[in-house]
Formats: sequence, C-alpha cells, structure tokens
Amino acid sequence: MSKVATNPENLLARLKQAQDRLGYLPEECLAEVARSLNMPLSEVYGVATFYSFLSTRPLGRNVIRVCKSLPCYLKNSRMIVESIEDKLGIRPGGTTPDGRFSLALVNCIGACDIAPAMLINHDVHGDLTPRKISRILQSYE
Amino acid sequence: MDEIRVTIDGKQLSGHPGMTILELARENGIDIPTLCYRPELSLLGACRICVVEVEGSRTLVGSCHTPITPGMVIHTHSPKVLETRKVIVELLLASHCGACFMCDKANICELRQVAAELEVGLPRFEIKKRYYPIEDVSPYIERNLSKCVLCRRCVRACRQIAKRDLFAVAYRGFDAKVVVDSDRALDKEACRDCDICISFCPTGALSKPRKLSEEKKGKPLVITS
Repeated sequence: MSKVATNPENLLARLKQAQDRLGYLPEECLAEVARSLNMPLSEVYGVATFYSFLSTRPLGRNVIRVCKSLPCYLKNSRMIVESIEDKLGIRPGGTTPDGRFSLALVNCIGACDIAPAMLINHDVHGDLTPRKISRILQSYE
Repeated sequence: MDEIRVTIDGKQLSGHPGMTILELARENGIDIPTLCYRPELSLLGACRICVVEVEGSRTLVGSCHTPITPGMVIHTHSPKVLETRKVIVELLLASHCGACFMCDKANICELRQVAAELEVGLPRFEIKKRYYPIEDVSPYIERNLSKCVLCRRCVRACRQIAKRDLFAVAYRGFDAKVVVDSDRALDKEACRDCDICISFCPTGALSKPRKLSEEKKGKPLVITS
C-alpha cells in the first residue's frame, strides 16, 4: 500500500502486490482495493480475471503455466499439457490435492525460440518433451 | 469553424472537425448499420458492424468512432464492406443462443434486425454457444447472458446515464462476460425504478422480470381449461 495508492491507474500494480503477498486475490482483497481506489468492484474483478498471471482462486505452491500460443501449439504443446495432466492428475485450472502444483494455460510467454515452453513460478523451461517434464516437475517441492 | 470535406459513396460532403464518419453519413441520409453504437453513450467500436472502407487505409475502419479527416474517400456499401459486415453478424449469431422464437424481445431485437437487413441466414460457423443460467434474483431486472453480444451498452449506460456503475466486463476472450461485483447474480436495490440498461440492451439479455423470482420457485404450473 505504498505510493499514491488512490490513483485508479495503480489498479494493476495493487493487484499484483496483493497477489505476491497472498498468493491469490480473495474477494475481500478485491473489495478492499476497489474501495481504496474508489472503483466499482465489478471493474476490479474484471481486471483481475482478465490477466492470466492474476488469480481469484488459491493456487498451489508451484504454478505451472504452459504456453498455448501458436508457435508452441505448432511444436505440439498439447502433448506437453497432456503429459502434465497425466503425471499430476489435474486439468488446466486445477490444483493438486497436496497443494504442490497448479496448472494453467497462458498466452505467449516470449519463449517461442524454445517452443514448446512453460513457466514454473518464475523459471522458464523450453524445448519440452514428455520425458523432460517428469524430471523438471521432480525438482519442485 | 473550418469545414472538412470528404467523399462518401461518391458524394461530396462536408462536416465539422471532430465529427465521425457515421455522424456525417447519417446526417446525409446514408445508412450504416450499428449495434454497439448509441449517440447518448461514449464511443467504443466494439461490434465492428459499422465498418466502412476508407481509401488508403490498410484495414476497414469502424465508422462510429473514426473522425473524418480532410479528403477522406469513404465507401459505406462496397462489396468488401458488405461481405465483412455479414461475417461479423454471422460470428455474433454463432455464439448467440439463437432461440428467437422463445424470446420476448425478438421483435425489437437489434441483432435480429441487422441480421435481417444484411440477409444473414443460419451462421456457417459451428462453435460452442455460451450458455449461462438466467439470473432472476432481482425483482427489477432479469439477465440472460446467453443472449448477450458483449456490446457493452449496459455497462456504459449504467455508468454514464444511470450513474450507478454496476457492470463491468470480466474474463477474457470467449469467456468474456458482463459481471456485477465479483460475478454475482444481479440483485441490487439501486436498480429499483431504473431500467435504463434494459432499454439500452439490443438483445433479450436484459429484460423486465415477468414475475418475482420468489413467486416462480416451487409453484406448480396450473393449466385451467
């Protein structure tokens, strides 16, 4: 809650701060941000649900974001998603029961040169193959 | 004031600075279909039905939000324009629930009207339709978002005319949806004695409830001969 917190232009920055602090954006948090920026809750909710890096639901300790944009798609990102789904038993949008992983599909993450690519938390993983996936997943607790 | 001279469909016309292509065309009896545009609301250019061809422009432009500039040569009904408009309406209809015969607003539906004017029949695109449960909690407004075409007229009318600001668009791409608060069913006392959004809705997405939702629930349908 630093810097000219009441300027509506700070909405995105405020949401990101809150997400970093809480791991996701619970409704009370959105309502609080809306109140302090003097904006309707619907508008804040709209922004929070538009960006795939913001979440209104609790996430696992590690968030896997697989790129679903065209270059990765052409390099068979579907297979990567399926392989993660098989290994973790969750679908995009889901979180494992032990809270270890969440899986999401996102738009281009700027790693087209190493397509198919994904992010786990802030780490980029590219040139993915189903075999690589198991090894990568093992390294996240 | 300086006049701006442009050519629309071969006619030499002049308008004042800041005027949009649509305004000048309509002032001169040239009809361009619109859906998301309303003169009372801020300009948006969301639906793209009003596209026209401007010579020298790489793409078709939305006439409702594009101001005229000196020397513009505009075609409002060229084959390219008509074909594009048709596809746009087809796309809107493709995800629209399309049960016109069940819809109370069918006769005043603007989507249906533009579809009829452009002679759009059954859409060629078979895509998933957006179905949402009907929100009939509010005694003042019923929302059936399966019929919503995301023109944002309710969002703007509630904000700019009713000054209540209840709606916003949430989610992304195909999942985009007009929401209240954090995607709750509309049930606001602020909607009492206000049906501005209903009057602005081009489709049957917003309507006046026929009965209070309380009455509806649990009552058997009684047919008396």
